[in-house]
Amino acid sequence: MIGIAGNRVAILVAALAMLALLFVPLAKSDYTNALFRGILMYGAMSYGWNVIGGYTGYVSFGNVVFFGIGAYAAALLATHGITDIGLSIVAAMVAAALFAVVLGIPVLRLQGHYFGIATLSIALAAQDLISNIDAFGATNGLSPKAATLFGAAVPYVVTYYAMWVVCALALAGTYAVSRSRLGYALVAIRENEGAAAVLGINPTKYKVIAWAISGMMGGGAGAVFVYANSYIDPATAFAVDNNVFPIVMALLGGVGTVAGPLLGAFILTAINETLWNHFPFIHTLFFGAVIVIVVLFLPRGLLALIAARRSWSLYVQHLRAYRV
Amino acid sequence: MQLFFQDLVNGILTGGILALVALGFSLVWGIMNIINLAHGTFIMLGAYVTYQLFVSFHLDPFLCIPIAFVVLFALGYVTQLSIINYVVRAPVLTTFLLTFGLSLLLENVILLIWTGDTRSVTTGYSGAHLDVGGITIPLVKLLTLVIALAIGGLTQLWLARTKLGRAIRATSMDVGAAQLTGVRVAHVYAIVFALSAGLAGAAGSLISVSYAFSPSSATPFLIKGFIVCVLGGLGSVQGALVGGLVYGIVETFASQYIGAGYADAVALAVLLVILVFRPTGIMGRATA
Repeated sequence: MIGIAGNRVAILVAALAMLALLFVPLAKSDYTNALFRGILMYGAMSYGWNVIGGYTGYVSFGNVVFFGIGAYAAALLATHGITDIGLSIVAAMVAAALFAVVLGIPVLRLQGHYFGIATLSIALAAQDLISNIDAFGATNGLSPKAATLFGAAVPYVVTYYAMWVVCALALAGTYAVSRSRLGYALVAIRENEGAAAVLGINPTKYKVIAWAISGMMGGGAGAVFVYANSYIDPATAFAVDNNVFPIVMALLGGVGTVAGPLLGAFILTAINETLWNHFPFIHTLFFGAVIVIVVLFLPRGLLALIAARRSWSLYVQHLRAYRV
Repeated sequence: MQLFFQDLVNGILTGGILALVALGFSLVWGIMNIINLAHGTFIMLGAYVTYQLFVSFHLDPFLCIPIAFVVLFALGYVTQLSIINYVVRAPVLTTFLLTFGLSLLLENVILLIWTGDTRSVTTGYSGAHLDVGGITIPLVKLLTLVIALAIGGLTQLWLARTKLGRAIRATSMDVGAAQLTGVRVAHVYAIVFALSAGLAGAAGSLISVSYAFSPSSATPFLIKGFIVCVLGGLGSVQGALVGGLVYGIVETFASQYIGAGYADAVALAVLLVILVFRPTGIMGRATA
């Protein structure tokens, strides 16, 4: 971890990259739009995971549940005639945050492996439940109408800008958290929960707040995804990829940093896209290998590697660190 | 009442195989403090090895159990020494992601070799069953339960009586102290991981006889392994047995009275409730 606020240069670069991403639709290519919208979506989800898994140290393996809840909140609103994309994002964020608070109070008492398993089961159980409830379209899913904004129909490219807004909010939110009392409290909990409690930090309160923020980021991404994809079913909403990509992205960029998730989203999407295009049948195999390599050689992320400069000794150091 | 006893018997029969599914998983978790997310994929590999031997050489699936065990044991040993050993003491995030990456990799290998089609191993005696007072007991499932119990018993005996078994138990209690007494911890961990993979292979052989399977069947078995471990506590044969039987019965009754579509959701709800109220399992001992 590179200090609580992360490397200032890295944050500046991330902010500039976000600004540059505003101009992607000028290329007028549907493929490019979809590709970069994917980066923004995973970026937002990775930021969401980073708040709870990175800053707070509670490694969630079910954060996809917020994405799914956000997606279904937007899709349900749409089936009741409310297709305003701004309103959908807000509603999705609220729904995901409420879910995080209600479940967080019992589940955030668990630690380590047990928290990981509990969150994984929440995601699986949510997928199972929605697959059985007709109001959510069961396994057939829901297909909302095209998005509107303030009552007017909008072109499809608006889904790109909406995803940009969600990711920008997630980045800005992470920056704000990292600079606030909340952020310091979260890091204190991560480093030593008992000591943090002794210092007057209420761990339960802060952990629940962190998970709610985490949920809002994922939920917002889910709402926009529904309109970009114009269809949602349980298998898509709670896909394993959507669960694990954000984690690997945060790890690749730098866990518990402001710039890390966006950097990770860029690089991993690039790797993933290349593998898909060139090796469609053994794409997962390579992807699994990428995860193994990142975990073994870059457990502290690329940002730490850049900061450390003496890169080769760092590889060896990482490899030796946890061996018996 | 008859239905009740039929469900109970079905639950126990399912529980036997679940106990074996969980046993290997539980050993690695309890002794090495690693959650092996590739365990489900190891099980599937065992099932596919059995399927291939059955199709190519018409070998009886029950005779394939030792072969699947040995193949997976070797794979587990190599995996531990070449990869897992570097993250044994790493935080949860590292081990979770690493084993998840491994499972992706292995699942893709399975897909390449055996495609994504659903497979099953159907023998001449697959449909045979006993009839005890109106309760039907499929012969294959009964045999599976007996073999699962026997394998569990052998494992327990091996852990309790052999020198290596004692070294394993010592390592699980205190790594530092075990090292001081001359235990080669890296070797012990490799054996534990290999044994766990071998048990997964044996479980896979047994599963191939009773259930249809595809590469994506790995996740449900992994999740059930979790649940059984949490129910029974970690790192012990008895825990896996009790957890497996309890869970098998709960699952059978849940699908009977709540609906088969909800069976997994109910199981996960049970898991969550137990985790929240009794995080070390029904008969568990405290572990980190």
